[in-house]
Amino acid sequence: MNQTNFVHESYAQRIWRRFRAEPFARNGLWTILVLFAVAALAPFLANSHAIIRVADGRVTFPIFPSLEPIEWRFLLYVPLAGLAWLFRRRLFARPLGGATFLLALVILIEVWLVFHHVVNDPTNDRDRPAAFKLMPLVPFSPVETASEPFLPPSWTHPCGTDSTGRDIAARMLHGARTSLSIGFVAQSIALSIGVTLGSLAGYYRSWPDIAICRLIEIMDCFPPLLLILVAVSLFESQNNMFYIMAVIGLTTWTGMARLVRGEFLRLSGLPFTLAAQAIGAGDLRVIVRHILPNALGPILVAGTFGVASTILLESSLSFLGFGMQAPTPSWGDILGESRLYIDFAWWLAFFPGLAILITIMSYNFVGEGLRDAVDPRLRIK
Amino acid sequence: MTTYLIRRILLLVPTLLGITLLTFLLVREAPGNIALMKGAGGENGSRAMTAEQREAMIKLYGLDKDPFTAYAEWIGRLTRLDLGDSWVDHRSVVAKIGERIGLTASLAGSALLISYLVAIPLGVIAAIKRGQVTDRAISFTVFVLYSIPSFAAALLLILLVAGGDYLNLLPMYGTNSINASEMGRFEWLWDRIQHMILPVICLTYGSLSYISRYARVSMLEALAQDFIRTARAKGLPERLVILHHALRNALIPIITIFALELPVLISGAVIIEEIFSLPGMGQLMFASLEARDNPTIMGITVFVSILTLLGYLLADILYVVVDPRIRYE
Amino acid sequence: MPESTDASSPDPILKVENLKVYFPILGGVFRHKVGEVKAVDDVSFEVQRGKTVGLVGESSSGKTTIGRAIIRLTEPTAGTISYDGKVVSKLSAAAFRPYRKKIQIIFQDPYNSLNPRLSIFEIIGEALEIHFPEMTPADRRARVAELLGKVGLKRDHLDRYPHEFSGGQRQRIGIARALAVNPEFLVCDEPVSALDVSVQAQIVNLLQDLQEELGLTYLFIAHDLAVVEHISDFVLVMNDGKIVEAASAEAIYENPQHDYTRKLLSAVPKM
Ligand SMILES: Nc1ncnc2c1ncn2[C@@H]1O[C@H](COP(=O)(O)OP(=O)(O)OP(=O)(O)O)[C@@H](O)[C@H]1O
Ligand SMILES: [Mg+2]
Repeated sequence: MNQTNFVHESYAQRIWRRFRAEPFARNGLWTILVLFAVAALAPFLANSHAIIRVADGRVTFPIFPSLEPIEWRFLLYVPLAGLAWLFRRRLFARPLGGATFLLALVILIEVWLVFHHVVNDPTNDRDRPAAFKLMPLVPFSPVETASEPFLPPSWTHPCGTDSTGRDIAARMLHGARTSLSIGFVAQSIALSIGVTLGSLAGYYRSWPDIAICRLIEIMDCFPPLLLILVAVSLFESQNNMFYIMAVIGLTTWTGMARLVRGEFLRLSGLPFTLAAQAIGAGDLRVIVRHILPNALGPILVAGTFGVASTILLESSLSFLGFGMQAPTPSWGDILGESRLYIDFAWWLAFFPGLAILITIMSYNFVGEGLRDAVDPRLRIK
Repeated sequence: MTTYLIRRILLLVPTLLGITLLTFLLVREAPGNIALMKGAGGENGSRAMTAEQREAMIKLYGLDKDPFTAYAEWIGRLTRLDLGDSWVDHRSVVAKIGERIGLTASLAGSALLISYLVAIPLGVIAAIKRGQVTDRAISFTVFVLYSIPSFAAALLLILLVAGGDYLNLLPMYGTNSINASEMGRFEWLWDRIQHMILPVICLTYGSLSYISRYARVSMLEALAQDFIRTARAKGLPERLVILHHALRNALIPIITIFALELPVLISGAVIIEEIFSLPGMGQLMFASLEARDNPTIMGITVFVSILTLLGYLLADILYVVVDPRIRYE
Repeated sequence: MPESTDASSPDPILKVENLKVYFPILGGVFRHKVGEVKAVDDVSFEVQRGKTVGLVGESSSGKTTIGRAIIRLTEPTAGTISYDGKVVSKLSAAAFRPYRKKIQIIFQDPYNSLNPRLSIFEIIGEALEIHFPEMTPADRRARVAELLGKVGLKRDHLDRYPHEFSGGQRQRIGIARALAVNPEFLVCDEPVSALDVSVQAQIVNLLQDLQEELGLTYLFIAHDLAVVEHISDFVLVMNDGKIVEAASAEAIYENPQHDYTRKLLSAVPKM
């Protein structure tokens, strides 16, 4: 009866402990965090305006007036992350509520993106004389014609320039915002649809299940890229980022729905669910408090893999020229532009390709690590 | 078994109706068509659409009728394999798909075949050497491959081996060289193979990594089963245990996932054919999308989705036929 | 003690009449009903207030199904269940709600009957949350701690999670959860079958003590007669969805009437 040898930890803590023990997964998570940090700080990392400029006896910060209000969006993540860290115990004591809350906040921030665009501002501080100036790491704006076209990588342009002389490094840094946001928001849309329909089918069975299964089968018959291409090209006039996110989300929810349905079928027959029903808990309570938290692990795993495949889909779309409208850069756009010049300008394809690869790989590593942590039986090592 | 088959085939009907209804409504309700229906010819409706095209469009999707009648008529034509005429060259969509399908099918077919031929041994070796360096190396490589976008790989391969600044081993575009008509039969074939190497590689490695990961898990599961332990305990040679007993059981699920790879391969073909200028169905799709050739777009979509549906059906049937343990009453 | 179930009795708290629960067997091309499993087939019995009725039978004889039908986790196909003189089997889910405070259930499998994501306080306190919304969290904590004491667990177990407990302890938690709403009637669905023999006796004794202290009525389900004989006043023997013998515990043990009962008895080790 001695219980002292049990570690006293909640489910979330257990998952986290197992997850941290996997080096690939841990490094994947770090990479993603760094990518998000880069995305958040993009206007400070790549900007044609000086951060600090001392001239004529005056100290100015030209970078701040140059920022569009929307540029601050990603900076909201800094206080958000701080708050999440402060209240981490409370958030993870109730993993479902915590996750939903965080997800909702992030989506709220991301949805602003509908209005996001980088303004072409011809002024720059590079050539202006000053007693002292501190330029950002990459002293170019992603949309300005900074130098000669097709310059190979050099100290001035670490990733070279494109066909109109724009700095690739600056475009990549800003492009991180687009690529990461789309992956995240589109997958959240897919997740919401998948979880809702999957729960309905798995919990109520009978005719909702039959109807939803048919719908899943119908959706699965369309190759995802094809359906998205058709939707994007037919409804071209609404071709903005939010629309792309919505289309990707609306066409890729079936895997999640299948998974959630299976989990619900399994969990809704278990005695603890019956016990809750016997106590008089309503359907909503049983689903939200008893079934969903137990399905959260697999959902999170599938969601992580889903983000990876969504980023891939978005970059395919942009590559084919069906993504966002320029000048909002995304990694897929830069790659797509490179097609015409591939026989000599390798840097146009290499850097964005590498960025996409690293991002997708990191998400996949995190997904693998989470899967092993959630269900040690699946650990195949 | 027979009942299962009948049931499975009957279930195709609602799915088919769903697929066709979805595509039909998608194209019919597209903003361009709504503008056209109002006769106003909005920004989208008027663009690049002649009066003749407008007529054809109204007729094809019954824009002047209520949706149900229009859908019923459209389905009626569909069963007679009439998908309308292309707006670009006024040829029937079915004929256009017909002349393109061969190339795409051979691309996807060879990609699938090579994937299986490479992936199964890889997966099996990784499973046998579980946890060892071999397993880790294979798993890691496969994992990296799985994460490389096919278009990035295609561009880099072109750059490296097909006439970029580096090697010039393989042709960059097309199905054959310009002077292919003057070649002898074998020369022609060799030329064609050379042109296909890069596209097939780009289309293959994604499926390959997916299948080999799947094969590894499937093999590990088979190796953990009781009858394998019994076979080992009986002192059968390890090779025989693995090849004869475990692999045979692991193969069933591996083979049936080919159906899941179909839509993936077709998505991949759209990109790969576009990059390598191969006149397959993917390129036709892409060209039609750019030209807003709605009849062709819808034709291809319906065609591909029905093909996928048949793939799923085949996989299900195969599963029942191959696996003696599964009995559907 | 009445000799048979249909003899009129002074104070039956639960009355089951001609209860049938059939599960459809789906099949054929359209997954329609091609047959039925008669899990419970025309069963009638009564349970007297403050007593324990044992329900025994082999696996899949329909015991759990009866228990679940009483607490409305399974819809009966036919027949009536009356509680305190009122027919409850035809009430709507909302109208049945007050009865969820009076009738509770303890499950067979201690490993799956507690939600692994909730702490013990949350598991036991949930019933209080639902039925006594006016209670403050502090009140709830006090009440849950009191319940833990009642079932022989410690107060500092409150914030632990189910995986930190042994099977016997989990079953005690399950009992505490059932007791949270002050029920009158407990369906105990093989509460000890999954436990070690030594722990079995502890749990049975706990249930007996609780019955005495709180005046509970039990429908005690088990698959062997030994456990039931010890705790029950009256025993129902079930086979294939039907009740084949109903008699007082001594009568069953001393003088079994039905072949099936004898078969079950022969499996019981004589002590
Ligand atoms: N939800 C259900 N759907 C279909 N059949 C069911 C369902 N629940 C129970 N059955 C069937 O009803 C019969 C009686 O099952 P029940 O669980 O009541 O038996 P039991 O006496 O409790 O057995 P055990 O001692 O194993 O717990 C069994 O044949 C079972 O397969
Ligand atoms: Mg039972």
